[in-house]
Amino acid sequence: MAQPLITLRDVSRSYERGHDIVHALADVTLTIESGAFVALMGPSGSGKSTLLNLLSGIDRPSAGEVWVVGQRLNDLSEDALAAWRARHVGLIFQFYNLIPVLSALENVELPLLLTPFGRAERIRRAETALRVVGLAARARHVPSELSGGEQQRVAIARAIVADPDLIIADEPTGDLDARSADEVLGMLRDLSREFHKTVVMVTHDPRAAHWVDVVYHLEKGLLLGVEPGGAERRA
Amino acid sequence: MRFLPLILRNLGRNKLRTGLTGAAIGLAVLLVCFFLTMPAGIDVFLSQIASNVRVSVHHKGGLVYQMPFAYVNKIRSVPGVVGADGVTWFGGAFEEAGHVTFPSFAVEPEHVGAVWPDYHIDPAALDRFRRFRDGAIVGRQTMEKYGWKIGQEISLRSTIWPVTLTFRIVGEIPNARSPLFWFQREYLAQAMQARNWTLDIVGIVWVRIADPALVDGVMAKLDAMFRNSPAETAAETEKSFFASFFGSLQGFVTIILLVTGLVALCVLFIAANTASMAVRERAREIAVLRAIGFGRRLIFGTLVAESTLLATVAGGSGALLTYAFTAGVKAAAGGWSTQLGPLAGFLVSPAIVGEGMALAVVVGLIAGIAPAYGAAQKPVATILREVF
Repeated sequence: MAQPLITLRDVSRSYERGHDIVHALADVTLTIESGAFVALMGPSGSGKSTLLNLLSGIDRPSAGEVWVVGQRLNDLSEDALAAWRARHVGLIFQFYNLIPVLSALENVELPLLLTPFGRAERIRRAETALRVVGLAARARHVPSELSGGEQQRVAIARAIVADPDLIIADEPTGDLDARSADEVLGMLRDLSREFHKTVVMVTHDPRAAHWVDVVYHLEKGLLLGVEPGGAERRA
Repeated sequence: MRFLPLILRNLGRNKLRTGLTGAAIGLAVLLVCFFLTMPAGIDVFLSQIASNVRVSVHHKGGLVYQMPFAYVNKIRSVPGVVGADGVTWFGGAFEEAGHVTFPSFAVEPEHVGAVWPDYHIDPAALDRFRRFRDGAIVGRQTMEKYGWKIGQEISLRSTIWPVTLTFRIVGEIPNARSPLFWFQREYLAQAMQARNWTLDIVGIVWVRIADPALVDGVMAKLDAMFRNSPAETAAETEKSFFASFFGSLQGFVTIILLVTGLVALCVLFIAANTASMAVRERAREIAVLRAIGFGRRLIFGTLVAESTLLATVAGGSGALLTYAFTAGVKAAAGGWSTQLGPLAGFLVSPAIVGEGMALAVVVGLIAGIAPAYGAAQKPVATILREVF
C-alpha cells in the first residue's frame, strides 16, 4: 500500500468577512496516497478551493493539522510556505494564468528561476516539460498565439517542470471545450500513472470522475463522502 | 540577473506608457542637471571676467550714491595702488534701440591702460582715446551687435544726465564678451558745464593694486581713509563686485532650483503612479507568481527593480544628454556666445551627471516601494481570493 502524501486531521478554516465569520471548512480529516489522482467535487461555496489552498500551502488552517510531503504546514511562515510550494507543489489554474509577455518556454521556465539551475539547464528542462505536454513546437509562441487547450497544456508544463511531488489543479477544464478537457484530464492521469505524481483537482465537470482514482464530495465546508473514481473502478 | 528578462518584458508590455514615463523622468533630470550647473557656472564666469588685483571703491550706501571726485587722487596716493580711474555711469541710450542696451561710462582716459592692462587695448587706440575729446572705446560685443566700425560717429542720449552726446569710436576692447562703452569724463564735464553744472562727483573708482597679496590691506586702508567723511566708501574685489551685481541672478537661480526640485517631485509622483498602475494591472499575475513560490522579498525586489531600472535608464539618458549638449555648446561657442551669454560656459560636470543619475535612482526606488510593498505584503491566499 502506498504511503499517504497528504494527511489532514480535524482541519477547519474560517475567516472574517466584514463583521461575520465564515466557516469555509469544518473538521475535515482525510489522507491522500502518493501517486493518487483525486477529485474534489461539490457546489460553489462547498469549501473545495479552501481545501485546495490548505493542501498546497497557500493558506493555513484555523484549526487542525495539515501534513504534506512529511511537512506540517501549520508551522511554516508565509515565506517558508512560498519556498516549500516552489519545491513541492505545481499549480494549475482554471484560466491558465500564463504571463502574457513571456513565451510558452519562458512561462514554463518561471518556477525554475527559484532553483539553483543555470540558464542552459533551465531551458533544457522547460523544453522537456513542453515536449511532455506535446507543445515543443509552440515553445516560442506567446499565450495570445495559443488556443485555450494549448495554454492549459503550457500551464501543466509549468506545474511539472520543477518535478514537484504534488500537482494542484483548480478547475483545469472549466474553460475548455470537451475535446481539450479530455486531453487535459488524460494528461493529468498520465502524470499520476506514469510519473507517480499526486494530483488533486477541484472540478465541477462530472466527466472528470471517470478519470480519477478517488472523488471527495464536499458541501457547506463538510466532507460528505468519498467514492472511488472511474479509474479506480476500471482497475 | 536571472530575473532581468522578466523585468525587461514587464517594462516593455506597455511601451507607450513606459516611454512617456521615461521621457518625463529624463526631461526632469535633464533640467535638474542643467540648472545645477548655474552656481558653479556663475562662479567660473565671475572668475573669468574679474581680475584678482582690481578692486572697486564706491559709496558705502550703494552704487546709486556718488562720491566726491577728489577721492580719486587720494586713492592714487595710497601705497600699493598702481592706477585708479574714476568711472561715472552715463546710461546712454542708442537712438536705434531707444533705451539702454549696453553699459556706458565716463572714464579718465589717461588711466585706462594702468587699471585695465588685461583688456589688451591697442596702445594706438588708447593714444587716440586720450587725444580726442569725443573719442570712445567700445567693447567688441557691442561693436558686433550694432555693426559699428572704428571711426564711426555714434550719438547716445543719457538717461542720467540732461545731455545727448555724439562720440567718435577710436578703438575697441578686443573681447567678444565685453559690452562696455567708455568715453572721456572731460567730454561729459564740458557738456554739463555748458548747463552750469560742475561735474565734481564720481560713481565708482576702479583701482589696480600691484600684488594680489596687498589687496586686502589696500582695501582696508582705502575704507579707513574715508571713514567718518560725508561719503564713506566700501572697497571690494572685482569678483565680489560682480557677484553683488549679479545678486539678482543668484536669486533667480535659487528660484529655478526650487522649481526644478518641484519638477523632480512631480516626476516622482508620475513614476509612482506608473508603478502603481503596473502593479494593479498585474495583480492576477503577481498572485500566480506568489502562488507558485515567488516569495514576498522577490516580488518586492523585482517590482522595485522595474521602476528603478526605468528611472535610471531614463534619468541617465537625460543626464548624459545634458552633458553632451553643454559640452557641444561650449565647444561651439568657445565658452562665450553673444546669444547665450555666460550660459555657454556652463558645463555639466561628471559630478553633476552623477547627481542627476542618483536623483533618477532615488525617484525609481521611492516610486516603486509603495506599490511593491502592497503587492508583497498581502497573504497569498487573500490575493488569490481577491483576483480569482
